[in-house]
Amino acid sequence: MSQVLETNQVEAKPAAVEYESRQSRELFRALFYRSPIGTYIVQNGQFRLVNRQLAHTLGYEEEELIGRPSLASVLTEDRDLVRENAIRMLKGECSLGYEFRVVTKQAKIRWVMETVAPILYRRKRATLGSLVDVTDRKLVEERLRQSALEIQRSNAELEQFAYVISHDLQEPLRMVASYTQLLAKRYGNKLDADADEFISYAVDGAKRMQTLLHELLEYSRVGTRGKPFSLVNCEHVVNQALANLKIALEESGATVTYDVLPTVLGDEGQLVRLFQNLLGNAIKFRREEPPQIMIRAQRRQHVVTFYVQDNGIGIDPEHIQSIFEIFRRLHTAEEYPGTGMGLAICKKIVERHGGHISVQSRPGEGSTFQFAISMAGGESG
Amino acid sequence: MSVQTARRPLDILVVDDNPGDIRLTAEALKDEEPQNSLHTARDGVEAINFLRRTGRYGDAPRPDLILLDLDMPRMGGLQVLAEIKRDKALKDIPVVILTGSHEIEDVVKTYNLHANCYITKPIELDQFTKMVKSVTNFWLTIVNCQRRTAN
Repeated sequence: MSQVLETNQVEAKPAAVEYESRQSRELFRALFYRSPIGTYIVQNGQFRLVNRQLAHTLGYEEEELIGRPSLASVLTEDRDLVRENAIRMLKGECSLGYEFRVVTKQAKIRWVMETVAPILYRRKRATLGSLVDVTDRKLVEERLRQSALEIQRSNAELEQFAYVISHDLQEPLRMVASYTQLLAKRYGNKLDADADEFISYAVDGAKRMQTLLHELLEYSRVGTRGKPFSLVNCEHVVNQALANLKIALEESGATVTYDVLPTVLGDEGQLVRLFQNLLGNAIKFRREEPPQIMIRAQRRQHVVTFYVQDNGIGIDPEHIQSIFEIFRRLHTAEEYPGTGMGLAICKKIVERHGGHISVQSRPGEGSTFQFAISMAGGESG
Repeated sequence: MSVQTARRPLDILVVDDNPGDIRLTAEALKDEEPQNSLHTARDGVEAINFLRRTGRYGDAPRPDLILLDLDMPRMGGLQVLAEIKRDKALKDIPVVILTGSHEIEDVVKTYNLHANCYITKPIELDQFTKMVKSVTNFWLTIVNCQRRTAN
């Protein structure tokens, strides 16, 4: 720096001190000029000292920047933000770097993050700044944000599609079902035995398809027609589910036990449906003996994990992964009736509540379904 | 039932774009005694013309009951309902919404527009037949309509 100062020091100080002083100057030079972080001193709004990295980020030679207003490189729209943030940081009100855009000499826009600190430079107040190019990270963030939006949009579209399909197909199907039934009723005994059989298959097929459509509609409604979350007492939920299953419970002689169940944030109607489907399965897929079902809840911080355990027929390990898929059935309609939608609906409900559902099972001994629900609620649009 | 046998034949207007549904309704009512007259409109515009006796509906009778579908081209059921209930000359005709929709919003909307009742078309033929019979029976013989009392 100043030549005068250096000669004075030589005269005034012994060799060891002079050596120390030179050492620290060299250290400063190395740190400042070789730093991978853009570093600079601004005084009266102008660059007074800049390092190579800053010059590189802004696309200038170092000497071109000296004397240039520091805000000149900031994108016009971001200038107020930079001023505000710099003042707050200089006052010590915040310590996290702030992000903004700069325009390089080559008129390219780059994202940067800056921190500033007050210092004295040549005995006057100045600002020491450091600046990092974060353009690459910003691009990745933007790309992630875009793909998240894209996924959200395509999910919504898919749900809408499932909804429209299942809703609009019901009308023509009702026609097929009604008129085959009318045919059977009016001409059923006037045709031969073959005709009766054909008609009965047609009627049966139409009815089955109606049930499937109905379930598909219900599945798509989990996403499209869900209620906003509120505090829900899970004991009420389980009691409601049990009331809905009253007949099946009585017929099977099932016993259901549960300990104290917590209050969670969720969609009450959907949670009733969730428990009803799981309990319904536990009753349906029973062995010879009456079903014994146990519901437990375990709270860990903001997550409640529920367990629904039965002593039923269990699930073959090779099918464990697939049972939550749409229309997935492991048995013929003669063995166990159903559409294969029950667990798919359960999965969708749990996921809407920010959770995850899984099952552990031993064939011939029983299954335990477990799902976690966040106390804070899941719901993300 | 003495009430049923004593009543005069009634005019029922079925508003539905699906001929299959109109025929099912006709099938459900064809054994009723005395035979009611079933009139049909294939969309909302035809229904309003029928009710106001405009165009080719100059001689149309005033229906005793309207069975109204919601989802129709040109003019949907909700609009027809609003139109009927706004019209002093028509608003006392009972309107039964008979639709394929299970949508709760549709139910709320139609009751807000003063529909007399909302029924989702049953999937089972037997249930459909029973439903049509009991709805017509309810509105045409059991309920003491203002207009019939006035007559």
